[in-house]
Amino acid sequence: MAGPDGQVPDAAETEASLLARAQAGDVAAFERLSGAYADRLFMLLYRLLGDRAEAEDIAQEVMLRAWRGITRFRGQSSYFTWLYRIAMNEANRALEKRARRPAGVSIGAQELELPTAPEEEPSRQAENSELRRALNQALAGLPPPLRTAIVLRDVEGLSTQEAAEIAGVSQAAFKSRLHQARLRVRAAVGDEALVSSGG
Amino acid sequence: MGMLGQAGDHEWSQQHLSHYVEGELRPRARRRLDRHARGCVDCGRGIRAMRALVYAVQGLDGLAGIRAPATIFDRVRLAGPGGAASSQNA
Repeated sequence: MAGPDGQVPDAAETEASLLARAQAGDVAAFERLSGAYADRLFMLLYRLLGDRAEAEDIAQEVMLRAWRGITRFRGQSSYFTWLYRIAMNEANRALEKRARRPAGVSIGAQELELPTAPEEEPSRQAENSELRRALNQALAGLPPPLRTAIVLRDVEGLSTQEAAEIAGVSQAAFKSRLHQARLRVRAAVGDEALVSSGG
Repeated sequence: MGMLGQAGDHEWSQQHLSHYVEGELRPRARRRLDRHARGCVDCGRGIRAMRALVYAVQGLDGLAGIRAPATIFDRVRLAGPGGAASSQNA
């Protein structure tokens, strides 16, 4: 099973053999198997948490939990989905912990300074930088379940079925969250900014 | 259609713009929104804004500029080969 960007170790068969070796205790096989999804997983955590240092910490924890749980992975979902599910759980745990901290320690759009894709033309970067900033700020201001929905479906480009599975909710519940998230982001950014972006 | 019906259609349309652009509305509901949006500047713009929103959010994927840290497997390496079988806490 490939991830959304089509990354696999070599081929589906190789993933199966890496999985078997990892389940037998081969750390290198586990690293190769999970490493194929590491960038994407880290990006997801960074997007959800909005803080690079915290995302790095949680990413290590996700890999450790996956390693510890690898013998219980039965292939009922793809390995990618299973790994992302662990990442979602860890991100939610971190967000809950953050919510219990004193006020003032919260996600802020200024923390989420994600770079633009390098292949994007400079003129287009400048044109869209304001919209990007507004969108990032709006995403950061969403309650975690809504932010998760829009990140998994629209940013990550996962199918509704896969995204719902990773979020741990029914497809109907997931769609409801997604639509709510979009309505809130639209309200925060404003129709004029969106329409004039030419999307 | 009376004022109440128009107001109801407007509120309903605004709440279903995301479903509309996602292609999730049943044909009858889609026709209802289409019919309303033809005569409603707000909802016509709302459809364009929602499409632009989905497009713009898709463009936020900055994967090409972000890499997982080299330390991502440090804890796995510390746990070692026994880590996979020994823990029940995953």
